[in-house]
Amino acid sequence: MEVAEVSKFLAQTIPFDQLSSAQQADTALQLSVYYCQEGEAVDISKEQLLIVRTGIYALYSDKQQLLTKLEEGDFYGYQLLLTGLADADQLICEEDGLLYWLPAAEFHQLRYQYKNIDIFFQRLFGRRLHQYKEQQGSRFTLKVSDVVQARKVAISGEHTVQQAAQLMTEKRVSSLLVEQEGRLTGIVTDRDLRTRVLAIDLPAATPVQQIMTPKPHTIDKHAYIFEAVQLMSRFNVHHLPVMDNDSSFGMITATDIIRSQQDHPVYLIGEIHRQTTVDGLEQCSLQIANLAQVLGKQQVPAHEAGHIITTITDALTQRLIKLAQVELGPAPCVFTWLCFGSQARMDQSINADQDNALLLEREPTAHIADYFSALADFVCQGLARCGITLCPGNIMASNPELRLSLKGWSGKFAKWIASPTPEAILKASIFFDMRAVEGSKGLFNALQHDILARTNNALFLFHLAQSTLQRTAPLSFLRNFILEHDGKQKKGIDLKKRGISLITDIVRIYALAQGISEVNTRQRLQQLALLGAIDSKETQNLSDAFDVLAQLRWDKHIHDLNQGHDASNLLDPNILSGLQRHQLKDSFAVINNAQSSIKHRFCKEV
Amino acid sequence: MFAWLKKKPALYDDVKRFNAITAPALSTPARTCRYLAIDLETTGLHARQDHIVSIGWVPIVDQQILLPQAQHFLIKPPVSVGQSAIYHGVHDKDLKDASELSEVLQLLLQEFSGHYFIAHHCRLDRAFLELAFQRYFGKVPKMHFIDTLNIEWYRMQKQGIVMKKDALRLPNCLARYKLPVSAQHHALEDAYSCALLYLAQLKKSHAEITIADLLVQSR
Repeated sequence: MEVAEVSKFLAQTIPFDQLSSAQQADTALQLSVYYCQEGEAVDISKEQLLIVRTGIYALYSDKQQLLTKLEEGDFYGYQLLLTGLADADQLICEEDGLLYWLPAAEFHQLRYQYKNIDIFFQRLFGRRLHQYKEQQGSRFTLKVSDVVQARKVAISGEHTVQQAAQLMTEKRVSSLLVEQEGRLTGIVTDRDLRTRVLAIDLPAATPVQQIMTPKPHTIDKHAYIFEAVQLMSRFNVHHLPVMDNDSSFGMITATDIIRSQQDHPVYLIGEIHRQTTVDGLEQCSLQIANLAQVLGKQQVPAHEAGHIITTITDALTQRLIKLAQVELGPAPCVFTWLCFGSQARMDQSINADQDNALLLEREPTAHIADYFSALADFVCQGLARCGITLCPGNIMASNPELRLSLKGWSGKFAKWIASPTPEAILKASIFFDMRAVEGSKGLFNALQHDILARTNNALFLFHLAQSTLQRTAPLSFLRNFILEHDGKQKKGIDLKKRGISLITDIVRIYALAQGISEVNTRQRLQQLALLGAIDSKETQNLSDAFDVLAQLRWDKHIHDLNQGHDASNLLDPNILSGLQRHQLKDSFAVINNAQSSIKHRFCKEV
Repeated sequence: MFAWLKKKPALYDDVKRFNAITAPALSTPARTCRYLAIDLETTGLHARQDHIVSIGWVPIVDQQILLPQAQHFLIKPPVSVGQSAIYHGVHDKDLKDASELSEVLQLLLQEFSGHYFIAHHCRLDRAFLELAFQRYFGKVPKMHFIDTLNIEWYRMQKQGIVMKKDALRLPNCLARYKLPVSAQHHALEDAYSCALLYLAQLKKSHAEITIADLLVQSR
């Protein structure tokens, strides 16, 4: 007779839950049961199916790489049963528990008898292969430093153009850095030698500094390649000096980039900057979903993908502003196009909406007001056509309340900080993550400086912390799903509301308390760790948790896109692998810990 | 007229055969032995007045519970199950498929010689079994019992843990090892639970623990 406790478990375990109760009882009768102790290596050499009843087991590859963690309801041994080939894996018990073993004969009989069971284990096997591939796969996104060799070819400004030409020939390069006492002063390319020397018949003894391009645009060695592409397209140049801090490191050319990644999807950015009509931009934007899928296929990590998607939104915005100015004429005063929220933090995904505003040099009166009203409408409507939907909360430059002078904005922020009403706090979570997309950087810096001088205000931080603490991470999601309903969607964990934004909120509070000007969550965490504002272990944990959640959300979005759905933040925990479930649980635990730190730090004295 | 006299020696032989294959020596490492976890449901607490209602058992070989050989028998009662039916969930009408106690005991003798027996609070089960063997076979086989309750008590004492009143009840013992808890007062479920508890106790002992050590702990 079968043990009811065992057959009851099978009845709740995929794929056995699909069997009749008689068949479940029958299967329960075939098992043997083993108690495993922490630290014990499970014997997985025999041809039988392992079913995890309780406990946690870590699966390592032969290279001692952690592949996954097995938990209640997980399986092992199906690969050997299905293929006859044993893996050189190791399964180590991490937490005492019970294992069930199903003998090979019974496993195969179930497979032959029930198609669903067969399909289930075939799929599991497929996924496992994928897991291995994922571990080995190389990351695709390159950085500038990956492409440029540290082979700097430089000349000083007093040398003659002839010497420059000789050096270029000798080193077989098409451009030179021009330096004065170790500082970059300009560049000279072979095109310069042609157009600025030969064509106008200057003597070979002309000094380089007379014909060089002074103060060239530069790119940081650690920037992504696509950022270099963006700079080149925007300013129509083909050479960018690569900087390592303040000194030059080398030169990156358009040819370098093309050679390094001929099929890189972010050429889209270059294309955006070439468009002359909103229709053209709309056409470009249709490629974003495709691009996201390519990024997904290439397993670009979520934070890089977020960076790329944001850069595209930025490019669209910048181009739309240019096009608006073609139509409306030059701006009557200096301005800055601001963005907030995820765009500001550079972690946009494909379902983001617009959050933007205008910062003006002068008070928006009369013709200035009219001009920027028209510009904002043009850009916001243009962005909407490009798939970046209008903000339901009307946080857009097209809203006249969000087209203010420095004084206007400064007053607005000062009011939110001084009297933190629930509404002001809600706004804080959006507006305090702010970045300049286009226009005057100086104007923006002035505003940010002004705001950050005020934010270390105990009462304000107290209320900000309070509102952050109102939402918690769904720690016990595995046992009893704490799920939310979302009108048209199925149940699941909201990765954004119950995960990512909780971390963003926590990190923002610390950043505002410290007056840190970074808005990207990872960068804020780095800064906070440098300043010692949070201990380095906690910053590391938060950063890891943020990556895990962002990755899950990004994967979910890609999955949704592939299925032809709208990208949704709701995740069904049932589709996760053991390792992912683990990471998710760990991440939620990190959030809860961080929340209690916040409580101690900011919520006691007021 | 003398048919009962002829039958008796055959049964008596079963006991002799059982005794002929002795369980491994006391110095044997406990992890290598074969066990049978057993549980009885009875109509009461007194072996002389009450009856066995059901018997459940699960063998352990190589530290693995072998569910294919798990058994559960309803025992035909000599009288109505009566009052304690509520307690065990066994009713007279369920007893259609019930077995003769003598047949079940015979099976046990035939299949589990050379095993050590495990029970949670074995005193009671043992008393009922011994009386039944005496009654049907004229002889009590040499069965060595290991008591998971006593082992648990011994270990908690040794660790200086203050025990609550029902700390040693089977479900509470299982919970301490984070083992799944079955429905109670079903002979097979309880035998299985007892086997789980024993596997855990065995793992929590040092690797070379012998039968003798365990018998000392389960006194």
